[in-house]
Amino acid sequence: MATTAAKWVAPPTRPPLIETLVSGVDRYNPSNVGILEDYLYHQIRSQEYDCLANLAILKLYQFNPDLYNPDVVINILIKALTSAPFPDFSLCISLLDERPASATSTAAAANPDEPDPLPQLLPVLTQLHGLLQQCRFPRFWALYRSAAVEPLRDNYTVECVGFEDAVRDVAVRAVKAAFTSISRERLGSYLDLSGTELNAYIEKLGWTIDASTGVVSVPPNPDNQIESTVVQENIQLPQLTKIIAHAAQTSLPVVPAV
Amino acid sequence: MAQQRKLWEADLDEDLQDVDLNLAIGTYGQNGLYDDAQSRVDEATLLALQQQMAQQAAFAQIPDVVKRFIAHFHQAVLENNLAEITVAYESGWNRLTEKFYAKTEWPEAEVIAPLVNDDQIFLILYRELYYRHVYSRLTPDIDDRFHSYENSCELFNYLLSKSHSDGPVPLELPEQWLWDIIDEFIYQFQSFCVWRSKVKSKTDEEIAMLAEGSQVWSSYSVLNVLYSLIQKSKINEHLVALQEGKSPEEIAEIVGEYGTRPLYKLLGYFSIIGLLRVHSLLGDFTLALKVMENVELNQKSPFTRVTACHVTTYYYVGFCYIMLRRYPDAIRTFVSILNFILRMRQYHTRSYQYDQINKTADRMYALFAICNALSPTRVDDNISNIVKERYGEQFAKMSRGEEGIPAFEELFLYACPKFITANPPPYEDPEALQGYIDEPPVEPAQRHLQLFLAEVRAQAPVPTLRSFLKLYTSLDASKLANFLDADEEDMVQQLMVMKQASRSISRVDNEKGLLGGQWISTSDLDFVIKEVRLLVPRGGCSCLRTLTDRRHLLQNMVHIAESTVGRRYAGWFIRNTEHAQRVLDTLRNSPLPIPPKSTEAGKAPAADASAAPPAQGPGRTGGKQVAWGSTKAA
Repeated sequence: MATTAAKWVAPPTRPPLIETLVSGVDRYNPSNVGILEDYLYHQIRSQEYDCLANLAILKLYQFNPDLYNPDVVINILIKALTSAPFPDFSLCISLLDERPASATSTAAAANPDEPDPLPQLLPVLTQLHGLLQQCRFPRFWALYRSAAVEPLRDNYTVECVGFEDAVRDVAVRAVKAAFTSISRERLGSYLDLSGTELNAYIEKLGWTIDASTGVVSVPPNPDNQIESTVVQENIQLPQLTKIIAHAAQTSLPVVPAV
Repeated sequence: MAQQRKLWEADLDEDLQDVDLNLAIGTYGQNGLYDDAQSRVDEATLLALQQQMAQQAAFAQIPDVVKRFIAHFHQAVLENNLAEITVAYESGWNRLTEKFYAKTEWPEAEVIAPLVNDDQIFLILYRELYYRHVYSRLTPDIDDRFHSYENSCELFNYLLSKSHSDGPVPLELPEQWLWDIIDEFIYQFQSFCVWRSKVKSKTDEEIAMLAEGSQVWSSYSVLNVLYSLIQKSKINEHLVALQEGKSPEEIAEIVGEYGTRPLYKLLGYFSIIGLLRVHSLLGDFTLALKVMENVELNQKSPFTRVTACHVTTYYYVGFCYIMLRRYPDAIRTFVSILNFILRMRQYHTRSYQYDQINKTADRMYALFAICNALSPTRVDDNISNIVKERYGEQFAKMSRGEEGIPAFEELFLYACPKFITANPPPYEDPEALQGYIDEPPVEPAQRHLQLFLAEVRAQAPVPTLRSFLKLYTSLDASKLANFLDADEEDMVQQLMVMKQASRSISRVDNEKGLLGGQWISTSDLDFVIKEVRLLVPRGGCSCLRTLTDRRHLLQNMVHIAESTVGRRYAGWFIRNTEHAQRVLDTLRNSPLPIPPKSTEAGKAPAADASAAPPAQGPGRTGGKQVAWGSTKAA
């Protein structure tokens, strides 16, 4: 867990070319948007995730509204969705400048067969994100499987390899931190799995099920090991250097008492 | 400072009247020549002449003291005399503004041009001040906005131009002014964006100008300036070299002829801070912190001498941390700078930026209250006392979950940066513009507020849960659900939310870059759920139980642990020892009372004696008050 932030800033899977774009001024060059978009689709296919590179795409869209491609935006949001409880989803939305209705309508007028799907899907994605943020995993699955989310499932998440497992990872992270043991049924409802699939998943996690009770024990980790402590004050020498130095400099010569 | 001001006034009287002013008047005297030729001049010349006469009339109206000031200011800039420039910039300009231009513009650059021998560089600098005055005291119209942009471009082009075959321009300006140049550049950009987005109040002429001038104050042009200054000055390489402990000679080699000059070095550094600010205003909080990669936030850095820059840096860094949900980092950032401001208070009351710094500080107290409500931790006493004083009411509401949402909203809108949108309304397309008026997009501040509130709402159940868990060392989740009149499953989900809310990414050691960090626990109250199946008595009945029956036998035991902090004495003693030492120092350094002497003792010592007490007197009593005042507060 210690490397969470470092990995987020620069995932080890990020190719050097992308690193140059993300960290340099070339990130503002509109002609590089294609490279970043290709990289996004690579992430979609190979279960990688690079938030900063995706934010760089949104940045280019922000500055160059002509480049805007709703499919790319939706895919970025889908990727960001499963990073909960980290705020990636909100960070992405922050960069989507409110697109005035007129801009959308002119785009629609130019291309009436393909209306911008984002205004339709954004509320759905936001709702899904809210449920993950609030750890309402059973509700998430219910909504995700519902007819209302069909357009998102059929057109987007189906292409995103490992999307459902990524959602399960969100649940696993939450469970791992809060539980030392959890019933198999409850875990199943969070992961939307049951029967042998669930058993296999638990095994893959390296967790164990007590066959007689059906309780899954969660291995100890820093977040589910709690202990009461009393933090005692610990004074370090550097805290006192100023005082000691000052005293040494200004102390008066000792005058023997007469 | 008082002494410097006197110097300047003396200089004004001695030097100026004869040197530059005569030159200037000489040029103007020649204008009379044209009078004879009037019959022969064509239309264009006539127009030029009229303009010149108007300028002449305007020139005549400039008070003499202002003329002298400008000529003197010009001389100081020509000589790269930093001390004199500083006095003119920080004192002269402001005093003359109060006296003559509190409600009107300063004379236009064209009008005063003869005073400075038409020195283009000085005129650009003059216009920089001229427009800044318009923005801060008057209402800039569209021409002011366009021209101030052009002037900024001219200034930066001059500094960055590749045509200087002889390298960097030989100009020196005070640190404070360099900071103000960048600060003002971004302020005017932000002000323009806000003004631009208000379509309804625009006249047809303004709409036409905006349609045509879509490149004016564009985000790209602003970023371009900042990045160019950063690259030209090699400031990032400079900062890295400093961190690696390289020697001044090595650093000079690395940063090259531009980076070694204070003007470029500082403009480069301030541009990094400028980027932090621009990216924050545009809602890119990640990138804002990423551009700060090489900047170390501490008060020992050689770049922290400009207080306004220092305060701005911490404000935006802290705010970005909030938007990245890294509340402990935000809290640490705010505590550090707010303490700095408290300490500096006694020295800074005289600064003309004092008001601005105080306003920013007040917004940071509000942000601090927000962070502390979302991530309750033991924090600095000084700061939290002030927060209680100023935002106690809101803080109490925010600490109560859902019902505190309006308080979050109030403080967020008060304390957030003035967000902008990257793109103008479609001024070039009348139809689209009408659509924009009919259906205006949500204001950027509202968008960011809603995103933030979504986060707050997700955490809303936490304070209540916390207050219950605090009472137990272990508790059945169903019992907790009963207390709160909730479903047990909901309760378990809320507990998971609480767990997540009590963890955060935070910079622990000195990680490189502001985005680095580790996953830490931020709460003194921790818990874990142990779901167990209760042992049912062995016997026939157990195998008959249905699944639903069996569920009832599952029990979620919540175990709670709290870490407490033993009383802390050291900080208190260290603080007070330091105060005592300071008081003692002041006492020792004060002159012994001088016994009344005969007036024949000579003028010099008498002057000394009379100068010394006023300088030290207020300092001493001030120090004493602070020392005892904060002792009481602690």
